This record gives sequence, structure tokens and C-alpha cells, in this order.
Amino acid sequence: MLLFLQSCTTSVVVEGTVPTPLVSVIPARMGVYYSDEFRRFKHEEVFRDSGGWHIDLGKQNLRFFQNLTKSLFAEIQEVHQPPLTTEEMRDLDGVFIPSIEKYGFLTPSIMGVEFYSASIEYRVAMYDKVGAKIGDWNIVGYGKSEGGMFSSDDAINEATVQAIRDGGARIAIELIDQPAVQAWLQSRHESYEPSAGPPGVAESIENIERIESIENSETPENVDGPPDA
Amino acid sequence: MAPLMRNLHIALVLLPLLSGCVASRIEESRDSSTGIEPHEAIVLLGRASHNHKETEESFTECIADVLGEGDNPIRVIGQSQFRDNLYPWFEPRTAPTSADELGRLFTEPGVKKRIASVNVRYLAWIDGDTVTIDSGGSMSCTISTFGGGCFGMSYWEEDASYKAAIWDLKTMTSTGQISADANGTSYLAGLIIPIPILARPGNAACKGLANQLREFIVGET
Repeated sequence: MLLFLQSCTTSVVVEGTVPTPLVSVIPARMGVYYSDEFRRFKHEEVFRDSGGWHIDLGKQNLRFFQNLTKSLFAEIQEVHQPPLTTEEMRDLDGVFIPSIEKYGFLTPSIMGVEFYSASIEYRVAMYDKVGAKIGDWNIVGYGKSEGGMFSSDDAINEATVQAIRDGGARIAIELIDQPAVQAWLQSRHESYEPSAGPPGVAESIENIERIESIENSETPENVDGPPDA
Repeated sequence: MAPLMRNLHIALVLLPLLSGCVASRIEESRDSSTGIEPHEAIVLLGRASHNHKETEESFTECIADVLGEGDNPIRVIGQSQFRDNLYPWFEPRTAPTSADELGRLFTEPGVKKRIASVNVRYLAWIDGDTVTIDSGGSMSCTISTFGGGCFGMSYWEEDASYKAAIWDLKTMTSTGQISADANGTSYLAGLIIPIPILARPGNAACKGLANQLREFIVGET
């Protein structure tokens, strides 16, 4: 019986390319926290028709986000679970925390079409230097792959990789345009330069060094309430 | 057993000769003149939306193969490579939907430079699919200690409908559109062994669209 159950479970370790986003850099030095659940995210589900599925997407997802955040922010540093101490926040402007809220997939036998599809709901939260929440956003990534071209495990792998890419694309393009992020960038800009120019436009990457040099001369802030998860 | 083997040999010899009829139609509409230098390339991208339809990757690969061979080959850049290099701007939900959006896209940091670095001149969006529109008949196969065989006949009719929208990345305009429609019925006849008579409308649409695309790009300068 155990052997029978084993044979009805399809295991997929998701693997795929990790493209580097070509987007405007958010001029901030961010700590990035990946929870253990995010790092080792697995999904298990049993369908009456197609049996059990065990999908391990943690490693691919982590690689993808490590590459994404490296391109998205001027500087990044992986940090432990918040709260962070004042000393730990000294060289950081804020903390970025991605998490997976939901993962789901559908097979052709369920959908009645020739495609496998997958979806991932991400939640990304951003906190400023003193631990106040800048904002949090839910982003859903979708992916699908042709059933005919792949075996079922390859097709789920491909659909999941596409879903990660889709979610990542939305984060890469849309995060910088979020009003809360723009307001945060503007407030940081104004705190360094009281006579700053018009709001609403992210500073260019060339400005980062100048901002950092001003920050480094600041007295460290007394932070007792760093980001909470 | 000997008659069965003889039948099998006959069938194997005849199989390549048996193909169903395909009716195809190619149409073209041109908005502006075109031309391509030897160092320039084209990218073929399959349109993918999040409904149940999607251009098959095998179809765009088929067009790429046809364009890349022959007396007048055109350099084709693979869609996976292009999408990775331009990530996240050519994903299903972020890709420009009209040539008018190219101007905005080219203002994004690094995009214009990245496209120029691989000398991509044209971008062709391939949209469409092959569907089975009718099927019928019946065939049954049996096997026993005295031998086996298949008897009956089944058929299925497929319709392949694709179009290519061609954008010139140099002028950032739409240069025209080509459509290919092909229809054919395949049969599977069971005469002891199953004999397929396959119509391949997808293949016919691919070759028709690719050859027309080549003429479209190099034909009028």
C-alpha cells in the first residue's frame, strides 16, 4: 500500500532561468529578509484524478528574488528576522520582506484545456529605517505551459517558473511607482536636501553616492522600533 | 505471423506517401516599406495571454527554422533568449501590445541599448493556434494468442489560424501583418494495422507564414 501511494505522487523540484531585470534602480540600501518558509517553500496537494503532487519551489524562488532585489535596489544586504538593532540598521535605509501567501496549480484534466497553469500570490512589505511600515502589496504571478510538449512534472515546473517570472516582473516594474514608495523616497530626499526638486520622480542612480555620503556624516538615529515581520 | 509482417512492411513503405489534403490561404497587408541588412535580425515572439489560448512554442520554432534556412536566410534570435535579455519588458502581461508603446518602452533604462546590441531590426508577434474542429468514426484494436489487428476508421479535422504582426524597431512603427489559415482532415484507417493519413495544417500554416514573412521583410525596400 505504501509503495502504491508512493507511485501516485509526482515530485517536482522547480528549476529555471533567473533573468536579471532591466529596470530603474530604487535608490535605497535595503536589508532583505527571507523567512525559512520562503526559502524552503513547498506545496503539497492531492487530486482525485492525477494523484499527489509535491512541488518544491523554494530554491528557485529564492534565487530569483536574490537576483531581483540586487537589480531593484541600489544596495542590498540579507538580514535576519526583524527587529534589527540600531547598529544593524546603520547602513540600511529600510527593510524589504517578500513572502508567499498562496501557491496553486491546475492540470489539463482539471481545467479541461491543454495547458498546465500555476499562480503565486506574493506579499511584499517595506519598512523604513526606524521600522515604520512604508507599505505592503499583494502581487499575483501567473504562468502556464503547454501540456503536449512536456511531461506533467516538466509542465508544472515550466508553469511555476513562468508564474515566478510574472510576479517578479510586476514587482520590478510597479514597486517604484507605488505612491507610498514615492513618498518615502521623496521624504528621504527632502531630509537630505531641503530645497529638493519636484516630487514624484525616483532619483537617478547617479544620486545614490551623493545621498550615501550625506548619510554617512549623520549621527546614527536612535532606533528602538526596527521593522517587525 | 508472416502475413502480418508483410502487411507491416508494406505499411511502413507506404506511410510517407500518405498525407491528407490541406487547404491554406495566406494574406498580407503592408503599412510601410521594409528591408533588412545582413547583420540585422528578427525576433519571433508568441503571444501569450492568460486565457486558455496561447501560441504554441513549437509553431514559432517552426517559423524560425524556415526563416533561418534557404538561399536567403534571415538571422532569428530565439524568444527565450530575447525575453531573458529584456526581462521584465516582454513577459505576457508586460509586453507592449501595439507599436505605439515602443517609444515608451525605449525610454526605460537600458532597453534601447540592449536591443541595439543584438541588432534586432524586426519584431514579429505570432498569434494563433491549431484546433480540432470536428472528429468522428470509430476504430477498435484487439490482440489475442492467434494475432491481432485494428478495424474501422476515425477522422479529425483541424484548423490552423495564425497571424504575424511585424514591428520595425528602427522606426518604432508597425510595418504590416500577415495571416495564414490552413485546414485539413486526417484519417486513421484500421486494416489489420492502423494506417494514418495525416493532414498537417499547422505545418502548412508555418511554412506559408514563414515564406511570406521572408518575402515581406526582404521583398520591398
